[in-house]
Amino acid sequence: MALRFGSRDMEDSVQKVSMLFNYGLPLVIILVAYFIGSYLENRHFRNIRKREDDLHGFPVVSFDTMPDDWNATTSDMVTGSIVISLDYFKRVIAGLRGLVGGRIKTYEPLLERARREALLRMTESAREQGFDAIFNVRLETSRLANARRDGKGTAGVEMLAFGTAVKLKSRFG
Amino acid sequence: MKFIPKKPRDGINVSDVHPLMEAGTLIVGLTAIFIVIALALVFIIEVALYFVPAETEARLFSDWMPDDLVTVSPADERLLQTQLLVDRLASHWAESPYEFRVEIDDSELSNAMALPGGLIIVTQGLLDQVESENELAFVLGHELGHFRNRDHLRALGRGIVLSLFFAVVTGNDVAGIGIKATDITLRGFSREQESRADEFGLAIVHSQYGHVNEAARLFERWDEDSANVREILTYLSTHPQPGDRVDRLRRIADRDGWNTDGEITALNW
Amino acid sequence: MDVTNNAIVISNTESIPGRNIVEFYGVVTGNTVRAKHVGRDIMAGLKNIVGGELKGYTELLQDSRKEATDRMIEQAKSMGANAVVNVRFATSSISQGAAELFAYGTAVRVA
Repeated sequence: MALRFGSRDMEDSVQKVSMLFNYGLPLVIILVAYFIGSYLENRHFRNIRKREDDLHGFPVVSFDTMPDDWNATTSDMVTGSIVISLDYFKRVIAGLRGLVGGRIKTYEPLLERARREALLRMTESAREQGFDAIFNVRLETSRLANARRDGKGTAGVEMLAFGTAVKLKSRFG
Repeated sequence: MKFIPKKPRDGINVSDVHPLMEAGTLIVGLTAIFIVIALALVFIIEVALYFVPAETEARLFSDWMPDDLVTVSPADERLLQTQLLVDRLASHWAESPYEFRVEIDDSELSNAMALPGGLIIVTQGLLDQVESENELAFVLGHELGHFRNRDHLRALGRGIVLSLFFAVVTGNDVAGIGIKATDITLRGFSREQESRADEFGLAIVHSQYGHVNEAARLFERWDEDSANVREILTYLSTHPQPGDRVDRLRRIADRDGWNTDGEITALNW
Repeated sequence: MDVTNNAIVISNTESIPGRNIVEFYGVVTGNTVRAKHVGRDIMAGLKNIVGGELKGYTELLQDSRKEATDRMIEQAKSMGANAVVNVRFATSSISQGAAELFAYGTAVRVA
């Protein structure tokens, strides 16, 4: 700071190059993560909507006892789960949001698609086993692992959906 | 009870905000908050400097060393001689509250630093480049000038602010910041701070030797070296050009009527 | 919990007392993810020394839960339901400093 001449400038340029590596490389990763992450997310949402349409008409309810007018013959518990992770770009935004508080909007699509996927997997599994309806559905979320060694960040969130699937004498119209 | 299959409207659980928009808002907002905090801190540092006397600072930081300093062996002859030279120069600053400590940083790059608690760091690279005691005396006198003007504390404050900022941006733990000499030196001083330190340094050299001959010789050599590519980069830095600096030192000597001729003292190592 | 939301009735039992479920439509969900901010953290840290209610957090969670409930009701409305039964709440930590508030139930029509 006192003398900044001669070889001091070599140090400056070395610092500039290392700054480029320290802050430039993550920036590239962020951008790549953003584009690929958005593409994958949109594709997943399209896929979810299509499968939901296929399952349209399969009753899934959270009543905890079976309604009286369902004439069940057999039943079994069915589950569906997924572990899903967030792209780096959205994690960075969420990190910034964490400084000021408020709604972490970038996490919402992640949880939404994970939850719908878990419900879909549960329902698909019930249908494959020949069941007609699911009641007493429960949904659970848990954080799986940390993205960073210091215990911060989110590498994965597990969504679990489970319920009681029943086979009925007369199917719903 | 009849079952009627229906799907809820899509997108209710997802905010309709584009991630890039969210990123932009956050970055602009946080930058604004950071600037406000930084300005407030700079103001607090100024106020603190006014209320914390140098004696208190000297006492608080009397054993302090930056975390990243690589020092040479305490038995190094150059360390001993530089310390003795600083002591001799400091004797011309009678009211100095500091007990100056000298450390030699094991770096090839030329630099000298004033750090809290009267710690002066000079690099190996600088000691390799100086050719007389007068040259070194001016560099050290200049550092004493930073202590007298308390520039080192302002730089420290700014260094901490910048470290905080980088910690926040890179998501590191804010509490884990150590004070590093490089953080502080990165900040630099303003042109005015440098000029005042130069003036004080030159006065000290004059008191010590009775003349200011060769005080700026180191910068003259660097100036003559200016074909060197390194000098082009200097242009970008906030620091005065060696040539400008030599001219200014000459003007100070003229103004105060200091002798620019005199016997050069050789380095005694 | 404020349930005056445009004639949608919510209940955490299987039925709405005094009414009959005539049609049921399926599961509806509502969620929100919230981050606490540094200022609230500092206040809560101080409060932790003496104990007692962490007002900042109480409000934050109330707000968030209300938003999750509102979104669930919004889904039910979009299906043409006038009640949500068997409502459950869940709170889970998504990452350090971020929590998800989640509500779900079954959208029905009562008469």
